[in-house]
Amino acid sequence: MPNTRQPLQSVPAASTPLASLRPGADQLFETERRLNAVLNNASVSIFLMDDRQHCIYMNRAAEQLTGWTLPEVLARDCPLHDIVHHTYPDGRPFPLAECAIDRAFPENNQERGEEVFVHRDGHFYAVGFTASPIRDDAANIIGTIIEVRDITEEKAAAQRQRLLINELNHRVKNTLATVQSIAAQTFRGQTDQAARAVFDSRMAALSTAHNVLVEDNWESASLRSVVERALAPHRLAEVDVTRFVLDGPDARLHPKVAVTLGMALHELMTNAAKYGSLSIPEGRVAVSWALHALDDGRQQLALSWEEHDGPPVTRPTRRGFGSRLIERQLPMEFDGRAAITYAPDGVVCQLEVPLTQLGWVGQETLDGHPAR
Amino acid sequence: MNLLEGRRVLLVEDESLVAMMAEDMLLDLGCEVIVAMRLDKAVDYVHAETFDLAVLDVNLGDALSYPVANLLRERCTPFLFATGYGARGLEETYRSVPVLQKPYQAALMAHLLNQLLAGGAPTWGGSGPEPATCACHRSTEAPSADGSFQADLAR
Repeated sequence: MPNTRQPLQSVPAASTPLASLRPGADQLFETERRLNAVLNNASVSIFLMDDRQHCIYMNRAAEQLTGWTLPEVLARDCPLHDIVHHTYPDGRPFPLAECAIDRAFPENNQERGEEVFVHRDGHFYAVGFTASPIRDDAANIIGTIIEVRDITEEKAAAQRQRLLINELNHRVKNTLATVQSIAAQTFRGQTDQAARAVFDSRMAALSTAHNVLVEDNWESASLRSVVERALAPHRLAEVDVTRFVLDGPDARLHPKVAVTLGMALHELMTNAAKYGSLSIPEGRVAVSWALHALDDGRQQLALSWEEHDGPPVTRPTRRGFGSRLIERQLPMEFDGRAAITYAPDGVVCQLEVPLTQLGWVGQETLDGHPAR
Repeated sequence: MNLLEGRRVLLVEDESLVAMMAEDMLLDLGCEVIVAMRLDKAVDYVHAETFDLAVLDVNLGDALSYPVANLLRERCTPFLFATGYGARGLEETYRSVPVLQKPYQAALMAHLLNQLLAGGAPTWGGSGPEPATCACHRSTEAPSADGSFQADLAR
């Protein structure tokens, strides 16, 4: 490359003196031909700017992106901003002084950002840019190289995904409400009110568990949020810190773990409110958890629920929905362990759940064991 | 017709709450139920034990239950798929396996399982690579999704 100590100049002005500056003009010509082959076949748009932010070179992709040819841009003899970035999408003029790319006249290599450009024909398109300074031998910044990609498709795809997730959230919530309504209509007058109340609170627990998933686009859920939401008496209320002591680090949970754990905590809380420590004003519950590394590289969640200061505990005579869910289903679903101990001074439940990789089938390679 | 009394049924279903309900339905039909909620456990069961029937949820969250289906086929154990997606959600090779639409309904499940017992193991359709053929050839008249009974009411 030429060792110019001058600010970068536009190509027609620069190429002639450069070619005659050095004895190895043939070599220079060969190098230029190779660089042109690279630049003009690149799918990313490349702009070379001088210290006044005038464009002195653009490759073929840049010409296609903007609708302007290099000779036309050179003839305009103005900042590139005034050619491709002069108007906000809402129609207001976009002065150079407000331009992030111009202001970024980058001190650091590879400054990135997103902007909306105006095509020659007037339409707007979203771009992602990467800008890096060009320095002379004395490290003075004499120009900028800007790499630009059209990200219209990516933006549209992200928008479609947002719409789908909103629709999914809406559908799931509506379906739960519909199931609740069908149950209410079906069992009207045939089921005692207590059973209906239990059913409704379980539906609410299921709905609450899904709320936590909605917050992170169904990809994962915060462990602490799952615990806090499950133990709050109403969806909007906070956990009652006079009754609950929560202690443990946050972690990301797979959506399935989040839902089943949320339901399990709901059952423990319901049982405590009916028979256990939450059935009297003095009673307390300590929920504490820790994460341990397993040999296979996964993390294991160890969570304990301990009731204190409640009435004397008597072992239930039959295994209900809650204990079946916690002691049998939850370990089977996650290859974990669960035990409920009806100690005289308070129910204790200990859960061990290996935390699987986040993601669903199709996103990850199968982590089961193929049978063949 | 209830051929299900006392039959050993493998239930593969990955969601805790759904598995509880499906297990109860099978118990109410008089079946002995072994529940697997993960692909590896289901495969272990099929290797270690024998079953008269199996009900396989297709999507196990982090895996699909096809490996279990292939093993059952090798052992001539009749099975059906349970899925919320219908037969179209199945890979080509498994399209002729009876499909029980989710949510589970006890009467439909009973009907399909009875039909499976009466007819033997399901046939395999599609143009993909055929899994190992059933060695016992105990029935030539296998039920298929195109039979008189339409499990998928949406079609």
